[in-house]
Amino acid sequence: MTEMQAGAIYDRGYRHYDGPREGRSRRMRAIVTAGVRRCLGLKRNWKTKVVPFALLVGAFGPVFAFIGIRLLVGESVGQFLGYGRYLGVVALVLLLFAATAGPELLCPDRRQHVLALVFTRPVTRADYLAAKLAALLLVIGLVALVPLVVLFVGNTLTAPRAATYLREHAGDFGRILFAGGVLTVFYSTVSLAVASLTERRSLATAGLLGTFLASTVVANIIFFTATSFPGRRWLTFLALQGLPGRFVEWVFGTAAPPGSMAAEAGFTGPAYLAALAVLSALGLALLAWRISRLQP
Amino acid sequence: MPVAQVQGLSKRFGAVQALRDVDVVVEQGCTGLVGSNGAGKSTLIKLLLGLIAPDSGQAVVLGHDVATDPLAVRAGVGYLPEGPCLPGDVTAADFVAFMAQLGGLPPRQARERASEICYQVGLEEERYRAIGGFSTGMQQRVKLAAALVHDPRLLLLDEPTDGMDPQGREDMLDLILRVRAELGVDVLVSTHLLGDVERVCDRVVMVHAGRVLLQGSIAEAAGTTAPGYGVQLGDGGPEVQAALAAAGLEVRPAGAELHVRSPDPGGFPGTREARSPEAHEARSPQAREARSPQAREARSPQAREARSPQAREAADVIRDVAVDHGWPLRRLAPRAPSLEETFLRLQAAVSAPAAGPRAGSDGPPAQPVRPWGAEVPERTGRGVRR
Repeated sequence: MTEMQAGAIYDRGYRHYDGPREGRSRRMRAIVTAGVRRCLGLKRNWKTKVVPFALLVGAFGPVFAFIGIRLLVGESVGQFLGYGRYLGVVALVLLLFAATAGPELLCPDRRQHVLALVFTRPVTRADYLAAKLAALLLVIGLVALVPLVVLFVGNTLTAPRAATYLREHAGDFGRILFAGGVLTVFYSTVSLAVASLTERRSLATAGLLGTFLASTVVANIIFFTATSFPGRRWLTFLALQGLPGRFVEWVFGTAAPPGSMAAEAGFTGPAYLAALAVLSALGLALLAWRISRLQP
Repeated sequence: MPVAQVQGLSKRFGAVQALRDVDVVVEQGCTGLVGSNGAGKSTLIKLLLGLIAPDSGQAVVLGHDVATDPLAVRAGVGYLPEGPCLPGDVTAADFVAFMAQLGGLPPRQARERASEICYQVGLEEERYRAIGGFSTGMQQRVKLAAALVHDPRLLLLDEPTDGMDPQGREDMLDLILRVRAELGVDVLVSTHLLGDVERVCDRVVMVHAGRVLLQGSIAEAAGTTAPGYGVQLGDGGPEVQAALAAAGLEVRPAGAELHVRSPDPGGFPGTREARSPEAHEARSPQAREARSPQAREARSPQAREARSPQAREAADVIRDVAVDHGWPLRRLAPRAPSLEETFLRLQAAVSAPAAGPRAGSDGPPAQPVRPWGAEVPERTGRGVRR
């Protein structure tokens, strides 16, 4: 009887790769996937997951809580968590998410000199920029867009008549996509632009948070103290953290709180949309300029 | 067909002229790019990859013009950069798979290939650990795996043994030899360690102060320097070294012996004076007997045949110095010139007449050393005529 060999280990040596090869889209998808994982701390140690998942809980928690209450209590709970109001509630979460995810995506590549390897593959700077931006859009969209969509679906499913709810609130779904999309683009471009200015994540995070919060505080102080200043209504555009809120109020048809800077300034919604668009374009231009100057 | 060819390449960074009108041909096989720190090696490699643009000149790699088709060049080239370039909080397997995908491999094939290459470079179970906890040697292996994973045709290695301990260095050089032998990948190794080049390369390009000193096979490169002797004379101290130097010899302490050779392969300025009639008279029978058996062995017919005329004259002068001073000559063994000696001689020849244009400086141009092993191209404007 022939003795059977249970197993053997072969050193096959180096071998050429003769399998399929994909093009530019594969390379970009690889950077996008790696970027999303990096922002969320996936495939890394548990410490890197704490901040993003805490913020995700902050963004999704109220939505699931509300849907749960509606399931238990029924329609009587009403619409206390409107879509516009929800975006106002998560505005700070959105800012914190952008301030941590953008630098996480861009800074380590430069600080750890990973670009010395990335740019030696057939990857252009434009590919790199587009892929990083796409990764951040996906991640920010996860906070700015997905919870509202989940809330809309939850409201529909828990409504006495889903079809009626859908028919009556179809416009809300469009507003959700529009407002969430604009906020996603705004926070993504501005966050990456600030992150492109430094190799240090902490500096970029502090810089973005400081700029948004300090500008809002300073603009409010000046607005309400320098009452004789003729062009003071324009100060409302310097309150960066207030801009998304004003835009969302316009989209969902709610009014600014009486006595607030926005209410007294008297600008309409399109002006705030234009401000967000201008800031996004400036951020994108700064980002493109910084990436084009990167030396691997 | 050369795997890379560079013609009239120049690159300036501000006031620093990193490369000056460089012509290089990288043939198939393993080529060493040798030069001291700041000589322009890394700049040349980055120009070959199209990572930086030259001020003038042209580079063709794997048949693609780097200026017009850099992506095609990078698709066929693997690069191991100098210094840290790895993310600390990602596992080696994940990072190498990511680099494979950047080379165009689909995700599943990228993971398989990454695992295979990590194993081949000696990262077995470690590949599932975060790179940040790796030693320098292991990080170099990760870099090599990342350079190899997309199956390049040409491998550019920038200081691959930098910062590694002796064992790690040996392992890395073995890996490079295996890559060359088993995959047939052409390799360009940039290093300032000439021993590494002698160990793994069959051709060498020597650069200094942004210029090419020499290019050709290792054997040819070593042959451009006059052979010398390993000498144990007297106590080998400063007095002995001074006496040999005064006799017109180049002397370099090397452990227990002195490496001595004629400074000029074409002549020997100190010979005549050292072999004056008085010096010959001083060769007493006692002094002859003071010579060791090793010295006699070094004068064997075989050893004599191995020596060039210049080397034989150097041997005579060494013996004359021994006789003149009455120092015992315990060893006089012919030795082939090393690559290092060739490099140092060429470096000195370029640096000395120019009175100071060092690597990276912007001084007057040094006298170029004619590259051998190939005809010197005659430049006509931007092009090159052979």
